[in-house]
Order: sequence, then C-alpha cells, then structure tokens
Amino acid sequence: MNPRPGWIQEFWRLVVLMLLAWAAGSVVDQVYLFLLLALLAYSLRNLYNLRRLAIWLGNPKFADIPIHFGLWGDVYSKVARVSLRQAQREKRLAELVNEYTASTSALPDGAVALDSSGRIRWFNDAATRLLGLQPAKDIGQPLLNLCRNPEMVSFVRNPDYARVLQISAPGDSERQLEMRIAPYGDDQTLLLAQDITERLRHERMRKDFVANVSHELRTPLTVIGGFIENLQMDENLQNDRMTRPLELMAQQTARMGRIVEDLLLLARLESDSNRNQSDRVDIGELIRNVADECQALADDVPRIDCEVTSTRHVLGDEKQLRSVVTNLVVNAINHTSAEQRVDLSWRDEGAQSLLEVRDNGIGIAPEHIPRLTERFYRVDAGRSRDRGGTGLGLAIVKHILHHHDAKLEIQSRPQEGSRFVCRFSSSQLVD
Amino acid sequence: METSDLKHHYSQQFNSELEGIRSRVLGMGGLVESQLEMAISALNRGEIDSAESVVANDEKVNAYDLDIDERCTTILALRQPTASDLRLVLAVIKTTADLERIGDEAKRVARMVSRVVCDMHDDSLLGRIVHLGLRVQQTLHRALDAFARMDLEAAIKVVDDDIDIDREYEDVVRQSTTRMMEDPSSIPKVLDIIWAARGLERIGDRCCNISEYIIYFVKGKDVRHTSLEQIKKEFNS
Repeated sequence: MNPRPGWIQEFWRLVVLMLLAWAAGSVVDQVYLFLLLALLAYSLRNLYNLRRLAIWLGNPKFADIPIHFGLWGDVYSKVARVSLRQAQREKRLAELVNEYTASTSALPDGAVALDSSGRIRWFNDAATRLLGLQPAKDIGQPLLNLCRNPEMVSFVRNPDYARVLQISAPGDSERQLEMRIAPYGDDQTLLLAQDITERLRHERMRKDFVANVSHELRTPLTVIGGFIENLQMDENLQNDRMTRPLELMAQQTARMGRIVEDLLLLARLESDSNRNQSDRVDIGELIRNVADECQALADDVPRIDCEVTSTRHVLGDEKQLRSVVTNLVVNAINHTSAEQRVDLSWRDEGAQSLLEVRDNGIGIAPEHIPRLTERFYRVDAGRSRDRGGTGLGLAIVKHILHHHDAKLEIQSRPQEGSRFVCRFSSSQLVD
Repeated sequence: METSDLKHHYSQQFNSELEGIRSRVLGMGGLVESQLEMAISALNRGEIDSAESVVANDEKVNAYDLDIDERCTTILALRQPTASDLRLVLAVIKTTADLERIGDEAKRVARMVSRVVCDMHDDSLLGRIVHLGLRVQQTLHRALDAFARMDLEAAIKVVDDDIDIDREYEDVVRQSTTRMMEDPSSIPKVLDIIWAARGLERIGDRCCNISEYIIYFVKGKDVRHTSLEQIKKEFNS
C-alpha cells in the first residue's frame, strides 16, 4: 500500500503528463496540440477506468479489483469495504430473522399475522396444525377464506382486543380453540390461537368429580347422622363417658353435611347455564329478614343494624341472593364479639346499587384478601372451624354474584373491621 | 399459482369486485358448514334447540345466495369478463347454487332431529348416520378449502372422498332395511333416517360438483360427466 493518498499521486501524474506534453510540444513547436492530445489521452484513460468500475460494481469483490494503486485503487478498495460491511450486516440480520422465525415456530400457540385487508402475511408451525393452513401456499390468502366459521368472521372483522373467542378448530370439530386478536405495527393484526381441548376436558372432569363425590357422601352421612341421633336418645348411654363423644360426633357429622351441601351448591352454580333471572328480589326486605334471623340465633351476637335507602329490586334468584346475604352476615358475626356491631346497607350509587356488610371486628390482613374467595381458604383455620364454617361461603358468594352480573369488593384492616360490598350493575336492577 | 391471483387487472375496482365475490362465496360456505355441523351435533346429542336454530338460520343462507347472484350479474353486465375472470364468475355462480342446496339438506336433517331423536338415542343406526355426517362435514370443509386455494389436487381428492361416502350411505341403507324387516313398527322412524342419510349423501355429491368447478376454473376444462379415472389421467400426467 502506498502511504501517499491516491489523489495526490493522481495530481502529480497529471502534472508530469502536462510537463512532458509541454516539453515535447515545444521541441516541435506544437505546444497546444500536444497539451490537447495529452488531455485527451488522460480523459480516455479515466473513461476506460470508469467503465471498468461500472462493470465491477455489478458484483463488487476484493478479489476482482482491477486496479490497486492511485485514486482509482482507493475508490475500488473503499467501495469493496463498504459492500463487504453491508454483506456482513445482511448476514447477521438474516441470522437474527431465522432465529426469530425458528423460535416463534416452536411456540405451542398458533400465531397468524394479518395485514390491513385481512390477508395472511406470516404464520408459525402451530397455526399450520391448529387452523389447517398450508405453509408458503397460504401467504397472501385472506384468512377468512380459510377460517370461514361465521363467529370467527365477525370476530376478525370487528376486532375487540379484549375479547376471547372459543370455537371448534376449522375442519376438526373435536378440537376446541381459544382465539385472541392483538393489533401491531400500522394497521396490522396478530391472531393467536390456543388449543384448549385438554384444559376443557380437565375442567369438566374436576367438576364432575366434585359433584359425584359430594353426592356419594351425602347418603352415608345422613345414615350416620340418624343413628347418632338415635344413640343420643338411648337412655342406657346417658352417662358421663358417652355423652361428650356422641355430642362431638353429631356436631362433626352436621358440619360435614354442610360442607357436602355447599360443595353440591357450588357444583350446581358452576354448571348451571340456564339461570333463573326472573324473580324481582327486594334486597332491603331481604337484609332486614336475614338480620332478624341472625340476631335471634344466639345471645352473644353483636348488634345488627340495617339501613335501606334504595328502592331498587334485583332481577335474579331469590334463594341464591338470600344465601349471599346470609353468608356475609354470618361471616361478619363470626369475626366480631358481642359488644361490637355489624351494619348492613342497601343503597344506590349512580346507575349501580350496593349491598354492604360492614363490621368493626377483628379484620383481615391485606395478604389474605385476594385469596378469600378460594375454596377452603382460611385466614385462621382453628377459629372458623370452631364456629362451624365450611370454608366455602365466600366462594359461593362470588359465584352467585357472578351469575347476577355483580362484583364482590372486600376492604379490611386488622383490628378495625371489614367491609364487603356487592356491586350490582344496572342491567340487573329494576325500580 | 398464477390462476388464483386475482390482482392482475389495472382496474383496482374490478380486482376487488372479483376478490369480493370469492370471499362472499367462502363466507356463505362457512355459514353452510356451521349449519351442517350444528345439525349433526343436534342429531348426535339430541339437542332440539340447536336443530331449530339451524332451520331458522337457513334464511341467512338464502340471503347470501341472492346477494352473490346479484353481484355476479353486475360483474357480467358491467365488466364483460373474459378468460379466467369469466370462469371465476361462472364457478362462483354454480358453487353458490350448490351451497344453497347443501344448506337445504342440512335444514332437512335438522328437521328430522325433533321427530327421531327423542325415542332413538343409543341406537346403532343413529351412530352410523352421525358418523356419515361427520365424514360429509369434513369433505365439505376440504372442498371449500380447495376452492379458497384453487387447489387442483385437493379438488380431485374430494371427488375421491365421495366414493367412500357413497359406500357408507349404502351401508346405512342396508342396515335400515334389515331393521325394517325385523321390526315393522320402527318403519316410520327408519324411513326418516334413510331420508337424512340420503340428504347427507347428496351433500357429498354437491361437494364433488364444487370440485369440478374448481377444475373448470383452474384448467378451463369442463369435467362434469367425466369419470374420476379420466380426470386423474388428464391432470396427473
């Protein structure tokens, strides 16, 4: 490599050429002609080199560089370097894209990218399997030409990004899919399909299991309970040794009976698709009734006050709603002492109406609150069992409220008390 | 495949019109598919409610039929299409007619559900016809997929499938005849079953017709009234 820059070399070359032409021209006294000829030769050489450059640029490689010195050599090597760098970058990018495609192909969920007019731009292996797409062939095809289910069509045409659609897979009615749509880029959408056949089967098995077991337990429990009652009546057994054990047996059998009843109720609530929504339930009346009943239950019950300001009725199942109120009130009583108090209220808040059960009892620590509605979740296992709780009360409350389009909100502070609010939406309310 | 490329016109409007009728036929196909699926699952599980909704939804199928016919007429009148465009419009018109009939057959099967199912669950005959139905459902799905992709091979395979459907239909008829001879009191119900099986078998035939329109569109050759062997020989060579 010449240390001097190419353009200086080229400059000196031109100067020397001109001087030679001038010298030769002055010998034969034709200076201008010789200078002109020299310039012509110089520019012809440049033209030739330019042509070679143009040809070489078609496939710029280091190995094929025709000139290695001077200004032209510089131009060649610089262009070659740029194109080499570009090629390396392209290769890196291609590797990245390949890696990315490979990793999305490995996803268990089907993914299809759609352009603004709903044509398929790209999809992964799982989509091939779940949606019956054919690799390469279906790129550019409108997705809805292949996934033709009317529900699917309206789902893709009017995308609601929060909605999840459950349909059977195209061409395979045994397989159930869950579809989601997400927007990305400008005006493009990504469709995700998840195979939920197994999950649905497990869910159904679990529900069936709980319902069957509870049902099977009910009969033996009734029989045992009946005989225990008989034994308690038996005069031969009215002695110190037997009274206490029999009493405990009766208590525990009754508790187990309640758990089975609650489990069956939950199973029914979960599977019940045609719900009874026809009763007009007067919640104000209902909470007064429940309060009176609970007050009369025992002597050490805290004071229960009712405050009814709403005249609205709830459309729904009276028996279920009564069970909601009873569960909440009994819970409140169980967590307050006789000198504390429980307040019930039924009031309007805009278009919604709130049923509130508030106590100033022992309260609940914040870490327990999100898990309260889980089955058999107990904050303090010993305490609630002593009180005869089944551990299913709030789970039942949550399910019933869900059936009535209502939400359960829980606020509580340890030692200050708890507040359970059922928020009914306007669709379930009538004046 | 160049033949399924509808984007070759300078007029954007014309392109989107052609694309539009094809999408609408497939939309109608999707509706008919779900009608058939519902009718068969109603038959399988004895759900009279969903059978009734199949009967009610047939209106929508008919509305599609009218709409697509009108669009095709407009295209024929205004654009005077030639070559593959003309073949596409003709294939669409014919496919629509066949889909409408398939919808009618699905309705007929659904009507039968309320009459038969209540006193026939767990009957082996019912199981047979449900199996036949699932098979027909799959063939219809394949035929429409082939239409969406304008896929010659898949279309020929649909014609192949129909042979199996015919065979299964004959089995159902044979079993029904035996049943009627054994137990004459079951004749009214078994007759219903035979009618439903006949309807399903007809759907298979209509899927074949759709495949023939696909072949017509792609190859420009009318293969109706030609045997399967001849078709295969012609296109696989």
